[in-house]
Amino acid sequence: MSTIDQCPSTTGLEPEPQDKPTGKQHWRSVEEFSNSESFRPFLEREFPEGASELLEGSRRTFVKLMGASFALAGAATIPGCRRPDRKIMPYSRDVPEEIIPGRPLYYASAMPLLGGGAEGLLIETHTGRPTHIQGNPLHPMNQSASSIWSVASVLDLYNPDRLKFPVYANPARGPLQATWDDFKAFWGRHAKTIDGKGSSLAFIVDKKSSPSRDAMRDRVLARFPGATWVAWNAIETRNEIEGGKLAFGEPVRSHHDLSKAAVVLSLDSDFTFGGPESIKNARLFARTRRVDRPDETMSRFYAAESCPSSTGSLADHRFRLAPSQISALAVAVAQRILNKQAPAGSGSLKTAIEAVKTPAVEGISAEHIHEIADDLMRSRGRSVVMVGPSQPPEIHALVWAINAALGAIGTLVWTSPMPDELASDAGADLAGLAERIDRGEIKTLICIGTNPVFDAPAGMDFAQKFDSVETTICLGVGATETAAASTWSLNGAHYLEQWGDVEAWDGTLSIIQPMIAPLYEPAMSDLEMLAFVAGEAEPDGYEIVSQVWSGRIGLARDSKAFDKTWRRVLHDGLLSGSGKGPAGGSPRFGPIATAISAFTLASAPTESALEVVYAPGNTLDGRHANNGWLQELPDIASKVTWANPVYVSPATAKALGVLPEGGVDPYTKQQLPQARKAELRIDGLPMEVPVWVQPGMPDNTVRVMLGYGRVVCGLVGSGIGHNTNAVRQAGRATATGATLERTSGTETIASTQDHWSMESRTSIVRTIDKKWWDKHAGTPPSHEPDDIYGEVGGVAILNLAEQLGELAHSPPNVSIYKNPLTQSDENARKGSTYSHGPQWGMSIDLGSCTGCGVCTIACQSENNIPIVGRNEVAKGREMQWIRVDRYFTGDDLNSPDEVLMQPVACVHCENAPCETVCPVTATTHGPEGTNNMAYNRCIGTRYCANNCPYKVRRFNFFDWGQTKHNGGLDPKYVGKSLAEGSAERITFNENFIPPRLRAKVDEISKMQHNPNVTVRPRGVMEKCSYCIQRINRAKQEVKTREIWTSRDQVGPIPDGFFQTACQAACPTESITFGDILDPNSAVAKAKESQRTYMLLGYIDTRPRTTYALRVRNPNEHIRPVESDPLEHGGSHEGGGEKHNGHGDGGSGGHAFVDPEKKYREDGYAMSLRVLGGVKA
Amino acid sequence: MKEPDQINTERLAGGGAVAATAPFGDGTLIEDPAVDAPLVINDTSFADVTDTVCGYAEKPGALWWYAALTVASSAALMAAIFIPYLIITGVGTWGLNNQVDWAWDITNFVFWIGIGHAGTLISAVLCLLKQKWRTAVNRSAEAMTIFAVICAGIFPGIHVGRVWMAWMLAPIPNYNGIWPNFRSPLLWDVFAVSTYATVSLLFWYMGMIPDLASLRDRAQKRLATGQSMHLRLMLPTGKPLDIHFINVDKIRAFVYGLLSIGWRFSSRHWHRYEAAYLILAGIATPLVLSVHSIVSFDFATAVLPGWHTTIFPPYFVAGAIFGGFAMVLLLLIPLRVVLPNFKSLLTLRHLENMAKILLVTGMMVGFAYTMEFFIAWYGGNEYEWSVFINNRANPAKAPYWWSYYIMISCNVISPQLFWFRKMRQNPTAIWIVALAVTIGMWFERFTIIVTSLHRAWLPGEWHMFFPTWVDILTFVGSCGIFLTLFILFTKFLPMFAMAELKAVMPQADPHGEHKGHDPVFAAIGEED
Repeated sequence: MSTIDQCPSTTGLEPEPQDKPTGKQHWRSVEEFSNSESFRPFLEREFPEGASELLEGSRRTFVKLMGASFALAGAATIPGCRRPDRKIMPYSRDVPEEIIPGRPLYYASAMPLLGGGAEGLLIETHTGRPTHIQGNPLHPMNQSASSIWSVASVLDLYNPDRLKFPVYANPARGPLQATWDDFKAFWGRHAKTIDGKGSSLAFIVDKKSSPSRDAMRDRVLARFPGATWVAWNAIETRNEIEGGKLAFGEPVRSHHDLSKAAVVLSLDSDFTFGGPESIKNARLFARTRRVDRPDETMSRFYAAESCPSSTGSLADHRFRLAPSQISALAVAVAQRILNKQAPAGSGSLKTAIEAVKTPAVEGISAEHIHEIADDLMRSRGRSVVMVGPSQPPEIHALVWAINAALGAIGTLVWTSPMPDELASDAGADLAGLAERIDRGEIKTLICIGTNPVFDAPAGMDFAQKFDSVETTICLGVGATETAAASTWSLNGAHYLEQWGDVEAWDGTLSIIQPMIAPLYEPAMSDLEMLAFVAGEAEPDGYEIVSQVWSGRIGLARDSKAFDKTWRRVLHDGLLSGSGKGPAGGSPRFGPIATAISAFTLASAPTESALEVVYAPGNTLDGRHANNGWLQELPDIASKVTWANPVYVSPATAKALGVLPEGGVDPYTKQQLPQARKAELRIDGLPMEVPVWVQPGMPDNTVRVMLGYGRVVCGLVGSGIGHNTNAVRQAGRATATGATLERTSGTETIASTQDHWSMESRTSIVRTIDKKWWDKHAGTPPSHEPDDIYGEVGGVAILNLAEQLGELAHSPPNVSIYKNPLTQSDENARKGSTYSHGPQWGMSIDLGSCTGCGVCTIACQSENNIPIVGRNEVAKGREMQWIRVDRYFTGDDLNSPDEVLMQPVACVHCENAPCETVCPVTATTHGPEGTNNMAYNRCIGTRYCANNCPYKVRRFNFFDWGQTKHNGGLDPKYVGKSLAEGSAERITFNENFIPPRLRAKVDEISKMQHNPNVTVRPRGVMEKCSYCIQRINRAKQEVKTREIWTSRDQVGPIPDGFFQTACQAACPTESITFGDILDPNSAVAKAKESQRTYMLLGYIDTRPRTTYALRVRNPNEHIRPVESDPLEHGGSHEGGGEKHNGHGDGGSGGHAFVDPEKKYREDGYAMSLRVLGGVKA
Repeated sequence: MKEPDQINTERLAGGGAVAATAPFGDGTLIEDPAVDAPLVINDTSFADVTDTVCGYAEKPGALWWYAALTVASSAALMAAIFIPYLIITGVGTWGLNNQVDWAWDITNFVFWIGIGHAGTLISAVLCLLKQKWRTAVNRSAEAMTIFAVICAGIFPGIHVGRVWMAWMLAPIPNYNGIWPNFRSPLLWDVFAVSTYATVSLLFWYMGMIPDLASLRDRAQKRLATGQSMHLRLMLPTGKPLDIHFINVDKIRAFVYGLLSIGWRFSSRHWHRYEAAYLILAGIATPLVLSVHSIVSFDFATAVLPGWHTTIFPPYFVAGAIFGGFAMVLLLLIPLRVVLPNFKSLLTLRHLENMAKILLVTGMMVGFAYTMEFFIAWYGGNEYEWSVFINNRANPAKAPYWWSYYIMISCNVISPQLFWFRKMRQNPTAIWIVALAVTIGMWFERFTIIVTSLHRAWLPGEWHMFFPTWVDILTFVGSCGIFLTLFILFTKFLPMFAMAELKAVMPQADPHGEHKGHDPVFAAIGEED
């Protein structure tokens, strides 16, 4: 079966499917409508009749010579026009009649999330190829933001290791390539052998919220009423569901609106990352953390965490607690709150909770707990407690009661009923199925979109049971262990290739539209497969979905009203108004009281009885394991890539003797840092795992990442990490009594960040306590703002944020050279290049950045950035253009005060150090203030990277963009080790093979590439370009719409007319980009803020990307507010007025205390006196 | 007691005996400041000088020579293997990364360029300063310069990501009309190093022409007198292998004839030669200062703490002279042992002089190291201070502390031995110190480049550098190229500037102390 040349319009072999008489016809022209004889050739020709004659006759020789190259070019472009057969509505204001080459079209669609919920997406397609995914601005849940998984899912579509055709495991001859006709014939015979009720039939499907899937389930169960139906999700948040059941008597979905939150307590809840509601939470919560004026209100955030998380990095007070201690904290908080304010009807609960012995929580003092509770109470009605999956159902239920007492229910948090399938206990259902398999009752097992052979919990021995079933059928997109073990492995359609639908967490009905015909045709979507099993011979996803929707909307399919709504839905990607708003509803205090009475708090973990927290990694349940972007995206807290070591705190690692080679700083010892291996034993289940240290973890707690250790998955993911399902019971989020004992051997761990602390360089990520912000932010810098920078830089009196950094210590920046573009040695002169717009700039808000990493993935997708593999990451050669630096602060690495996140990409310096040193002028400055790279001029001296203070330049040390990459593994060797059933990693680095001897990138993988961005060759430097291709497209758009003002000046480009990829993806709206000369632009306003500072601005780089400092809102009773960072004991006599701030943010100790610091400070004082003397 | 000069002169006059022994050493270590030490000893006559120096090139190669050539050329083979491998596969075969974008490549470049310094310094600066003792070492030092510059030229050439595009560095107004970036110190490097290489090569070659002519004439004479011999190779067994059909002297006469471009020892030739030599010395002298200053601009003009220092140009020049002299000593002291009569031409006095230079320049780099620290502290720049303390000096914090201390102990501490006269007059001690200095100077460049780069501004991007086997073997290869070329030089080219050497011998001074003796030969003197 051909995999490439499938475009009906070039082969002309496959007739264009006719619309069903029942369906709505769409046509592009009258000719198509009439489907006349002359229209077909017209459709199939690229050029009009007569044009091709030019190539014949006299030019025959030429054609002969060029034939081969044309064929090659054709092979590369043919997959590009895989338009789906059914017309969908492009997402753009003016619907073009035809695709304009070179101009992307955007379509709205949605991605189902694991375990329910959805993200609304806007998919950029280039001539029919989806290339980039961002959020659907109309979608109420995620708006234009997106999660790492949805952005990265476009790579899953082009995964070269996808299942491409049905495979039949012939009992005699082993796996054989088959066709769908073979399978259909097989099923025709096989279906007859299934008994009438179908009780020997079982399904394991992906747990998701899709109305059409539900309809298909009903259809299948109508035909086989006795069939077993398991909605499987290996990483479902069982505790939350059970807790909801406890509190409300029925399974509920919880919804949040954090936009009005004043005080938030998180009990191990990473509520801005990873969940079905997280992007909305991130957006709304970040808004409460943003202050731009003094005395502006700002939320206070307490986080109790079992591992540093992205949400926890925002916390004003972060407590590292083992999950059991977080439960104790919850009880203590409940006692205090219910004692003060018991909601009506909660008497029994109050009694029950008071009966619980006030636990001493290890890691947080009773006074602090009381203060947190009191703080929550003080903001009653605007405070809320969030609870995470590690907490037992009782605590979830208790938190519902606390939230009721806080008056949060109905405004900040509310519930809606959870559909039965989502609420079903996947672990129990699978265990039940396993029992039935054991009893021999199951003869046919159909897995759709699931991989239970890999991710079934420990002790179930599901793989063996799976094998014992007579007929197993697996439909999936990527290669899986289950597919490899099945009798029939069927190639499914990716969600970008199929019709479908999904219900978002708030109930918004979202449509899934095919962006491209299935790459490996024929293929079936899960809906089609279920319809086929239910007896439909030629199932059609479009038919299924439109039928279900017509039922759901309540309009007949052939009615005009339905047609209109349907067109709207296809355009918007959702059925507007289908989401539900806040609702009331009070938890049932009685059952909660009963549960709390029966609940016993566990004691704190010890070295010999460790607590374990399970959490999905970047690959989720393992489904994204073959996605190189996600494998290479650093873990938020540890910055580890390509692995899932278990994490323990440095103190615990030391106590247990499992510190990595080289101690807590393992990167200085070897090029490939080595984690020590240890035997992790949980509930009697042993497993050998590598151990890595994670500052900020509670002591005696182990974090186990799920979703790694795939064996059959493809070149990227096979053999990466360890399958920790082997030590996890179904549905469990935590375990206790685990042991960790060092064994022999080590394993390479690659991390993108080698250093934990900021080394006292607190001017890098600047922070200030709210109190001092309120005091000082009102004093505006009294001067004429800089034309380009507003309040930042190059000014006589610095703004507040700049007073916290080096600029307060050094004389004003005046270059001794004139910048050729600004004709100035200081600010851009009027009339100079930089004084007329657009002048691009960016502002990154460190007050709301959670470090989730979606900017990195979005950038990677937009800019064709290659992955480099584990060994290369370990060597420090990752290519991501935007990285998120993570710093721990405090004076104890084991127990850091804070986790700070700082995204860093090229800051586009106006005085760029990289530009002067490039000997071949490959990196130069654009008139719009961007620092540009001319890739084909670059010879790769790497001098620019050496001279870049921000270290944002990325060098193509090998031919990563052009040759096939597999994560640094020798494919042949992988095959061998897989055959032997070993998941052992191979240390041989394939990059060391000359590129010409290596396989080239698959044609399929290339289809993901953004055609407007060069794929860089080996030996070339690259870096963030401010998405210059988007800038240029915006300029073209503005020009073609004739809204430019003068001949040589394009624009003004309206603010927000386009966004950079990272900006669009950011869930917390932390990244602002635009024309900084436009006084009304968001970025100009951000730069006017007192919070804005230039990273390393004192070296006069004049970066166009500035940062907004983080304002903290600590509770004075828990951490004393640090001394005023601007009022330092008179060590700066020479400096005068405002110039006496110190970079260390005060004496609060919010930096690893450096014994030399003091000494150095004295040096500062001394040298400044000298400078002051010179100035005077 | 007679002075050695006196002994020589007396012997030439036919009187006196050689019996008088020097107080110690070879008799050149005279303490009396009023007396010049002889520059050539052991009763060497002009004919002896010619026979000795030409003999190195004419006599069949000794076993040690073949052994050394085998070892050196095997090492050079590493370069022949790993440079193409690097170019074919990518710069990633080295241990570099996005934080440390230069490491061994530029370390090696600066190391070799530095070594290349001594030659021109000895030839040009000491010539202008009329330091007569330079005649014993100038030829081999110049040769060493050329070979070091060749090695130095390799690294910037191959370290770029796209070697096949390196021509863009040249100021060719190509079809795009783009010039290279004249603001970039790397471009200055291209000009500085190529100018230096050109002038050094001219200087070396021009100085050799009379000596090449001597070799040519001697071969011609043997051919004419029938004394010439076939090619005889020494086998490792010790037996000679005779190749009868090759007449070596025919080849010599031809090749040296070509190289000596018609030199006839005429007065006019000598006159022009002297003038040209002086002009070239004048041109080369500023180059001695400029090359390494410009190389130091690669670092000094960067914003990187640890690189961004105004002290670099003089500090690099001093370091280069230091390293260059160390390399001269490293090569010539063993030759004193293995080559006959070498000691007569390269006396202990020469070695002592060079040891003194090592001491002086070593103190200069030591001063520079100290000043860097002082300025880092005095400047009050947190980042710069951190580079010096936390990246280099503090073993508790700096992963590369050992490189810093290797540098300090080899470059600053080891030359302090030369405060002791016994040490600077002891060839073995000098050789050991020279070896230490050569190692130390490599580590100086490594320290400057790698320890500054690996932990610079933002701790989030800090990363270590570890060399790969390709890094190491490419460096070994460059050492191999250097040594191979030098070993070939010892066999095929005149290792001493014979004319100049003769000019500083007492016989050459017709108006010396002992008037009344006509000089035996008319020699060309630079004086009088």
